[in-house]
Amino acid sequence: MTTSVRLGADELSRCHRAARDEGLAPALTVLRSLVLPGLLPCGPGGHAVVPQEVAAGAHQVWLDGVTVDRSATDESTLDSIDLPGGTVVLLRHGIGERGTDVHAEQRASWALGLVWLRLGLSEALRETCMRYLNGRRTGSTTLLQQQMVKSTVADGLIEHLEVRAVLTGADAGGLPEVILSHLHARITAADRWLVNLLGASGYLTGGPGQVAHLSELLAEAYVRADS
Amino acid sequence: MTALEGRLVSLRDQMREWGADFRRLGLALDRDPELVREHFDLPAVRYLSTMGIPPEYGNVPIPIAGNRFYGTLALERAIIMEELACADVGMLVASPGPLLAGVLVDLLADEAQKEWFYGRMLDAPLWTFFALTEPDRGSDAGALTTTLTPVPGGAVLSGEKRYVGNACRAQLGVVFARVGSGPLGINAVLVETPAEGFKAEALETIGLKGARISAITLDGVHVPAERFVGRHLSPSRRGMWAFVQTFNLLRPGVAAIALGIARAAYEYVTENRTSLRRDEQDRLDLLGRRIEGARSLVHLAARAVDARTSDGYLASAAKTRASQLAMDAAREACGFFGVGARFDHPMLDKLVRDARGLEFIEGTSNMQKLNLFQGLFTGKLDRDDPFRVGVPG
Repeated sequence: MTTSVRLGADELSRCHRAARDEGLAPALTVLRSLVLPGLLPCGPGGHAVVPQEVAAGAHQVWLDGVTVDRSATDESTLDSIDLPGGTVVLLRHGIGERGTDVHAEQRASWALGLVWLRLGLSEALRETCMRYLNGRRTGSTTLLQQQMVKSTVADGLIEHLEVRAVLTGADAGGLPEVILSHLHARITAADRWLVNLLGASGYLTGGPGQVAHLSELLAEAYVRADS
Repeated sequence: MTALEGRLVSLRDQMREWGADFRRLGLALDRDPELVREHFDLPAVRYLSTMGIPPEYGNVPIPIAGNRFYGTLALERAIIMEELACADVGMLVASPGPLLAGVLVDLLADEAQKEWFYGRMLDAPLWTFFALTEPDRGSDAGALTTTLTPVPGGAVLSGEKRYVGNACRAQLGVVFARVGSGPLGINAVLVETPAEGFKAEALETIGLKGARISAITLDGVHVPAERFVGRHLSPSRRGMWAFVQTFNLLRPGVAAIALGIARAAYEYVTENRTSLRRDEQDRLDLLGRRIEGARSLVHLAARAVDARTSDGYLASAAKTRASQLAMDAAREACGFFGVGARFDHPMLDKLVRDARGLEFIEGTSNMQKLNLFQGLFTGKLDRDDPFRVGVPG
């Protein structure tokens, strides 16, 4: 296992851009290699959303700040989903008897990195929506130029900008968990609006609608509901 | 979140302190918008009466923690506006000062015009107005039809303007009018009132009564040639370009006013409900987080237009977000006081009424969203660094 890095602007930007430009699995790979190298990152309930390679290769489990040995008998794979950028696995590991040696710095880095990562995914969704709607016509113009469509894109963008504004200048540990949880909720709200723009095509597996769904599950797995 | 520098924290704290006078007078002013005439001596009113006038024209504002703030930057104005709107938005918009007209003068006027305009503003507290909107084309300012017809020594103004703040009591203002067809045919002129042919009447509004939103009739108002704003500039810099830039610079301040109303609603709950149930506390906490988030956006949007006047798209996002928040917060606050809250809590009723005004001032949310979309669609928003704060490449 190599040493984790305290996330600064460079690293956060890498996670953000990987999510936006390459997809969920590559972005999780970047974040995990920076913050939790060699570990299987799980949330406080033992849930995980990880790239297939991470699920296959980790020998130890990181349970919301506490490292434990991985137990094959105490782990179940819930799903495996092929997405642009790579396959992602959903799994649950038992939380059993956890130690008390919480790595607060890793926890703070992972938490902040996840928000940047989800923001990148949501921005990619916005760009996908715009390309898709710019290629579809209604009458003499494109769907993208319909005023209600423009308004919905703007609603999504406003959420992105506000989340980005709050994140700007914040280092790991600099924002309380309740604020990070709030930012996740705003990203989810943006995703819901944007996915609606894709109509039925946003309901298909393997596409942008499912990436948005997985993005929600990331928050579900790693963000405490009461934070 | 980008933290404010120490000097701006001092500015915020001073405005918060001065705002106590506004809070005390707010409800009375809501009943009688002319009450402000009796309070020109308040420090906040005095400050606003010269806010935006650069030091080289003789502005010497009261020092705050050893600094003088001239209000020439959008970020300074955003901080001032939030605090004073939180205290009482009615008193803020009722106060005399150069505000919108001043921003246009700063942007466009030649030296002689600046000396004249700022000189008048420094002599005594004066209300100013910014007459752009017309009765049938609120959202299509570029199609304005008020005419500016040349006559020897100047021109005459004819037409109608509507929804112009403080016009009925202003002594000085800016009017946009047409000297020719198309976007290059628009010019701004400085107008002194009273003037023959100039008539302004206050419109009755639901809230924001301190703004004295007015309708103007212009019937052959004479304008001397030296009052054509930006007469030293090319036509492309005088008309539509001018009011777009002016609004870009002002928009973060309008967003901050909405933010101030939202905060006033939040604070009304914290000050008047001493014990909250868990679910109520959760709702209030969520409102607090929304206010914090919107403030981050407003401040970065203000920094963006201070760096580049044309970067008004972010301010459209900030204004849309903050005006919705103001309406939500005011309504949400009512929910903490049970049935009939707006009957029993006049301040809450006022906040609800005032918040509605922020939805349309300086462009409705629908128009702001279309503007924001246009910025995104045409690549004006940097996808890697939208606030231009400098991010690793």
